[in-house]
Amino acid sequence: MDFKFDIIWDYAPLFWKGTLYTILISISGVALGSILGLFVGFGKMSRRWYLRWPMQSYINFFRGTPLLVQIYIVHFGLMPLLLGKTNSIAAAITALTLNAAAYTAEIYRAGIQSIDKGQAEAAHSLGMTHFQTMRFIILPQAIRRMIPAFGNEFIVLVKDSSLTALITAPEIMYWAGVMKGQYIRIWEPYLTAAFIYFILTYSLSKLLNWIERKANRQ
Amino acid sequence: MKKWLASAIITLMAVVIVTGCGAKNNDNTGSEASGNNSSNAGDTKTYKFATDASYAPMEFMDKDELKGFDIEFLDAVMKQAGLKYEVANTGWDAMLESVKQGTEYQGGVSSVSITDDRKQTYDYSMPYFESRNVIMVKEGSEIKSATDLKGKKVAVQTGTTADILMTKIMGNGNTDLKKFDSNAVALMELDQGGADAVVADIAIVKYYIQTNPNKKYVSIEDTTNFAPEYYGLLFPKGSDLAAKVDPAIKAIIDNGTYTELYKKWFGEEPNTDHLLNAK
Repeated sequence: MDFKFDIIWDYAPLFWKGTLYTILISISGVALGSILGLFVGFGKMSRRWYLRWPMQSYINFFRGTPLLVQIYIVHFGLMPLLLGKTNSIAAAITALTLNAAAYTAEIYRAGIQSIDKGQAEAAHSLGMTHFQTMRFIILPQAIRRMIPAFGNEFIVLVKDSSLTALITAPEIMYWAGVMKGQYIRIWEPYLTAAFIYFILTYSLSKLLNWIERKANRQ
Repeated sequence: MKKWLASAIITLMAVVIVTGCGAKNNDNTGSEASGNNSSNAGDTKTYKFATDASYAPMEFMDKDELKGFDIEFLDAVMKQAGLKYEVANTGWDAMLESVKQGTEYQGGVSSVSITDDRKQTYDYSMPYFESRNVIMVKEGSEIKSATDLKGKKVAVQTGTTADILMTKIMGNGNTDLKKFDSNAVALMELDQGGADAVVADIAIVKYYIQTNPNKKYVSIEDTTNFAPEYYGLLFPKGSDLAAKVDPAIKAIIDNGTYTELYKKWFGEEPNTDHLLNAK
């Protein structure tokens, strides 16, 4: 197979730019998503139905529909409504944030509920308030259990951010598509993109392993 | 035992669905081209063509059926040539890659413009359609020509000649030139205010303006910056099919079948002299 490295070299600056956008979009998505997810998750665990019901629907919607559709809805529906016109980067971050919130909400819930009930009962019997129990007993243990799931979500999000190429967010896959269009060749752009994504996710998983080890050593 | 039964039923259903669909496709396309009226009568091979059916009115899906000018044109050509054929909607990328390899699909029909760059990777039939890129803007826009598009936000479909032309004008890597996967999405970007103009083939733009009169769009023809271009059928390098197809294309242009087809889809007469004299 003829594989033209020179055209990859031509596109290297654009792939570099795209990589920075992929990182920006993914980090923003996961950071904003885990903040939003915290509220959604606690809302879902709430005993009050008017908090629980909307959050449950939110999670069901964002986990039950394709991310691509969510991206199109945000880009062509939500953004024109808010900004009066489309904006691909804002739409990309918003869509990934909303999507990540649904998944991280479940991570929070699973993490907290995985802690044995006896722990909370013991804390209460020591005279701790509900907040103190959460802060000092439940969360420190739960967060340690959430780390692998969070890592997983982050890696998935980095790869999923490639879908925002379809609304022309100038990230890695977008420039791969542009390159494909110019040369009508598939392997050079797509294998290059795959290689960059692999480097990103592989170093990310190494970083997460390190964090996990550190958290468990305490 | 129950599990075994369940999986057997599922497998059976899958087989029925797959073979059922396959049989239907054959009915739709393969048998149409059985009329033999030329020198290739001895050629009983079924040629498979790939298309990207997202380019109305040139090629598009009507439910599960392929329609459009290109599809009917190919039908006329293959009948004229006396060759059996099938067409499948594979999408643009898959079409390009599989036609390049030439093993599963021996041809592509998808409003593919003939360019010198592409000729290095593919063989083409003779030109069968004259096209031109035009600019589509909102009524009353100050954009009057392609050079006015500099510094504006422009939406195109990736990999089209509109993309190539606008990349030349606006520069590679310019994010004001938004490259979408399909013209449909590029047009939507213009609708939602994310772009000031769309550049696309004249057939696409005219069709969109005609079918969306309430959106108040106009098309701008810039004959100085956008030269006419020609669509050709796409073949793998070294294909023998091009030689068989070219006389048939010439024949249907000469005998008026082409003009009839053109009038049916575009409501006007084609300039066939341009086609016959193009390179």
